[in-house]
Amino acid sequence: MHKFFIALVVLLLGSAAAHAHAYLDHANPRVGSTVRTAPRQVTLSFSQKLEPSFSSAQVTDAAGARVDQGARVSGMQINVSVKPLPPGTYRVHWKVLSVDTHTTEGNFTFRVGQ
Amino acid sequence: MFSRILCAAFGLALVLGPSGPAAAHCFVGARFLPATLAIDDPCVADELSLPTIARFDTGDDPSARQLDISAEYSKRITDTFGVSIGRTWTNLSQPAGMRDVSGFQNWETTFKHQFLTDAAHEFVMSAGLSIEWGATGSPDVGAERFSTLTPTVWFGKGFGDLPDNAGVLRAFAVTGQVGYSIPTSSQTVTVDPDSGLLNFEFHPQFWVYGGSLQFSFPYLKSNVIDLGFPDFVNRLIPIVEAQFQTPAANNEGNPSITTGTVNPGVIFVADTFQVGLEAIIPINRASGTGVGAIVQLHLYLDDIFPTTIGRPLFSSTPTPNKPFGG
Repeated sequence: MHKFFIALVVLLLGSAAAHAHAYLDHANPRVGSTVRTAPRQVTLSFSQKLEPSFSSAQVTDAAGARVDQGARVSGMQINVSVKPLPPGTYRVHWKVLSVDTHTTEGNFTFRVGQ
Repeated sequence: MFSRILCAAFGLALVLGPSGPAAAHCFVGARFLPATLAIDDPCVADELSLPTIARFDTGDDPSARQLDISAEYSKRITDTFGVSIGRTWTNLSQPAGMRDVSGFQNWETTFKHQFLTDAAHEFVMSAGLSIEWGATGSPDVGAERFSTLTPTVWFGKGFGDLPDNAGVLRAFAVTGQVGYSIPTSSQTVTVDPDSGLLNFEFHPQFWVYGGSLQFSFPYLKSNVIDLGFPDFVNRLIPIVEAQFQTPAANNEGNPSITTGTVNPGVIFVADTFQVGLEAIIPINRASGTGVGAIVQLHLYLDDIFPTTIGRPLFSSTPTPNKPFGG
């Protein structure tokens, strides 16, 4: 049995240096929030470093029309520029690849004004 | 009848091709379904449960106190087909006047095919076959001399596709499994040394089924609403699991009663491992006495060793697709 636990310790020590799936750590505007002033960009911060070529995000309005003007991926963050946003509900879709080749995705809404 | 349907579904699932790439451990779209303790999760993955420790009082009369320490290793052969192998060491603290016994249970192997992954609806289904290999454990702790085959269907469903006005309900998910266990031997015949009469012990076939209801704080924070909870809270998945078995056939001489447990608990999800802790509440006297407990450390090998043993042996998706097809 003690060999099992030695192996377990080795695994856990190895895990300290491992890269995991990239989770959305926080966003600005915050997930599910209402902001008074329309943001000029949406910022997504992840728990792992991203592969820029395989990571992106989009922003759509309530009708599903794109309102973003391109995304820039840098390190653990994606910045999405958006058009001037009138009051309403907007959905952010993201799909990213962490540097260890794991893909994760998600989406959330935020509201402007109202 | 139901067993025939289940076997047909199982066979169909095995011959169907994969419907889409399976993510490493149990990601289905935006949903992450953690490894559950009482039942199996619906995905194939590279993972290691070591150890799982359970302590409870058995349904025998009088009860024995049982300690199980088990390990299970799961390996993806392809993106959607995996094999797991596991074993349990058992210690039985018997009532006064009876000697305590310890030993290994039979080896168990499960072959699983994740044949449906619907990311948009956070829905996943798998089918497979679990085998308990007879005569590979100690009869002292109840390991049978015969093998048992259990074709099983698993599913998982997240509720993130509910309308936005459903609010926090979107953070809920359910998983479940239904199987039918078939012993390879229908009966054991022994001779009473005193009377010389034959004793027939029948080996019943069982429906084996269960499910889980889980609330994902990670999902709530990332996909519904960020309430600013501490990071520790945002990694918790409160869960209630339930697992049952009901005799279905060849049950002569045995009580025809459903046994099982309901397990409320919580799972903490870290980047490369999870820790689960649940109470074990028997549903009736035949299922046990008192409240037991189970704790598990579960390692995500696909995260710990992403380029070696954490990958499928044969992967059809060496290069990820560009997000949004862009």
